[in-house]
Amino acid sequence: MNSAQIRYLSSLINRKTVSIIGSGPSGFYTAYHLLKKSPIPLDVTIWEKLPVPFGLSRYGVAPDHPEVKNCEETFTTCAEEFSPQTDKKHKLSFVGGVTIGKEITLETLLNNQDAVVLSYGCAGDKKLNIPGEQGTKGVFSSREFVNWYNGHPDFAKDKRFTDFDWSKVSKVGIIGNGNVALDITRVLISNKIDEIWQNTDISPIALNIVRKAPVKDVKLIARRDFLHSKFTNKELRELWELERYGVRGCIDSKFFQKGMFDSFKSDRVLNRRVEMCSEYLKPFDERSKKNYKKASPPTSGYNKFWELDYLKTPLEINRDESGAIKSLTLCNNKIQEDNSLKLLKDSNNILTYDMDLLITSLGYAGVPMLEFSKLSIRFDRDHVANKQGRVLTVTGEIFPHLYASGWIRKGSQGVIASTMQDAFEVGDRVIQDLTVSGTLSSEKSIDLSNIKHSTWVDWERINKKELTRGQKEHKPRSKFLTFEELWHNVEEV
Amino acid sequence: MLKLTAFAGRTARIWNIAPSLLRTSPSLLARTTTTTTTTTRLLPFSTSSFLNHGHLKEPNPGEGLKITFILKDSSQKTYEVCEGETVLDIAQGHNLDMEGACGGSCACSTCHVIVDPDYYDALPEPEDDENDMLDLAYGLTETSRLGCQIKMTKDIDGIRVALPQMTRNVSNNDFS
Repeated sequence: MNSAQIRYLSSLINRKTVSIIGSGPSGFYTAYHLLKKSPIPLDVTIWEKLPVPFGLSRYGVAPDHPEVKNCEETFTTCAEEFSPQTDKKHKLSFVGGVTIGKEITLETLLNNQDAVVLSYGCAGDKKLNIPGEQGTKGVFSSREFVNWYNGHPDFAKDKRFTDFDWSKVSKVGIIGNGNVALDITRVLISNKIDEIWQNTDISPIALNIVRKAPVKDVKLIARRDFLHSKFTNKELRELWELERYGVRGCIDSKFFQKGMFDSFKSDRVLNRRVEMCSEYLKPFDERSKKNYKKASPPTSGYNKFWELDYLKTPLEINRDESGAIKSLTLCNNKIQEDNSLKLLKDSNNILTYDMDLLITSLGYAGVPMLEFSKLSIRFDRDHVANKQGRVLTVTGEIFPHLYASGWIRKGSQGVIASTMQDAFEVGDRVIQDLTVSGTLSSEKSIDLSNIKHSTWVDWERINKKELTRGQKEHKPRSKFLTFEELWHNVEEV
Repeated sequence: MLKLTAFAGRTARIWNIAPSLLRTSPSLLARTTTTTTTTTRLLPFSTSSFLNHGHLKEPNPGEGLKITFILKDSSQKTYEVCEGETVLDIAQGHNLDMEGACGGSCACSTCHVIVDPDYYDALPEPEDDENDMLDLAYGLTETSRLGCQIKMTKDIDGIRVALPQMTRNVSNNDFS
């Protein structure tokens, strides 16, 4: 860290100050919008708990989707253009490795800044809450698994993954029907297809381990039906297109038949999904459109399968004597007229699926900050209570100067484009409020001199090294996988 | 004006979109518009490439192709551009409000534009990957395309595209 970094924090002269908690897409797009649109000069600080920026763009987006990470270029331009060392109208600082609520309290930020935006996303897991979910070897949440293969320093060397016997993993169950469930299916079912993974920034530790698994069948289990699947057509198409490698998709005719969804003809997205599945379920030569015949399956035929399975509720995870998962007990269910689910628990409707690995992909859960109760900030189930981005108190009043954007505002749904749109809208409200409010006449500053942290310059150094290492291995990037390595590249105070 | 009315009528035939979106495009496009000329704004602080991402080439005299953008405030901007430039490059090069979150690689829907139907059919048909992204676009119409996938050619000289109103479906959380 350099002295200039301190100086900007103590010289809040003409600019209004905004702190954004979280440097993922929602945090950075909020900053970007503020810097692009604010008529009044701003001094924006982005706080990040990891020493490196970009949140779910770096640690959530699948490694074989590098184009989705291109938003990082916009964030980088933003940070460079408005670096505190320049003389621009606005300033943008990045402070990494500092957790708001630990090293610095949210209250301190609120007392020192003209506006604070919560953009820290969803760092927890939605749970099944069934016996065996905790402590069974080979049962992971999607967030843990995704963070592991993306080289997140909290997970990259986690023994729960590295000590697990992957050489026996043939049957996989994935609970959930979102894009993350599909990403994980793709990673597991194509684990031995090196051309997909070897030139990506997937964690080499995870890739080497996952490659050992003789994965044959992946079942995607949903509580509701085909109509309610949450994944997007792009991700579903990618799975179907794996047939060129001998990977075949299946859906039982109980759950999917042409004609079943005719009453939804006006729904463009569903319609395209129905056509895609109808065509791909036909034998290759019988398909009517050329876009479903891009690459034929190998002459040896299909040897790996993924299946969309519907209307089942998991009841219990069963272990073998070593404590590893052996099977999953489920029951059929049905969707009732009021759209609720009725579990059918008679013996005809109870099933057991043998499986060697289970990933629960029910969605990421927002977690309240510890200080919320003390500050009387309301938290609803999985997100911060808010009115159009303005955070609410437990009594439903607007909490002054505090905002929320992205997943912590709405819950974990939507792609980066929707998060961007959300961040822009919240950014507009911040600007609107800052324009009418007086500046806090705060002489107090946030002293970082005794707090270990990283700056944008540190990130630039880490980034350069990761890119150079990657180049040597014919990858876009080779990430540092531990906190030790990351901090090693941060300049001491 | 005749062409504009036709444009508005056609875009009213919107596919399956939330009712709240139905009021966006047609009214936007039907309104009388004024064409403004672009001038460089002078800011009290130094401007930067942040505000001007693209690097557009100047067309040779007589070789420029015309494109008109209908902006969210209904004003119009017409530019002369080189063959081969994408609508996204042109919009960003002129500092219009169009994001290209994925850098123009057809992996997001942030450069969604509504094309004047008179020009829509002259464009090559969208591929699956573009349609997959259009699935996720706000305010989708029958002539929606991604700006990064429209390349300027002589066939579409004079093309008119509208930036969609960023109307979002209201969710329960907005009132929570």
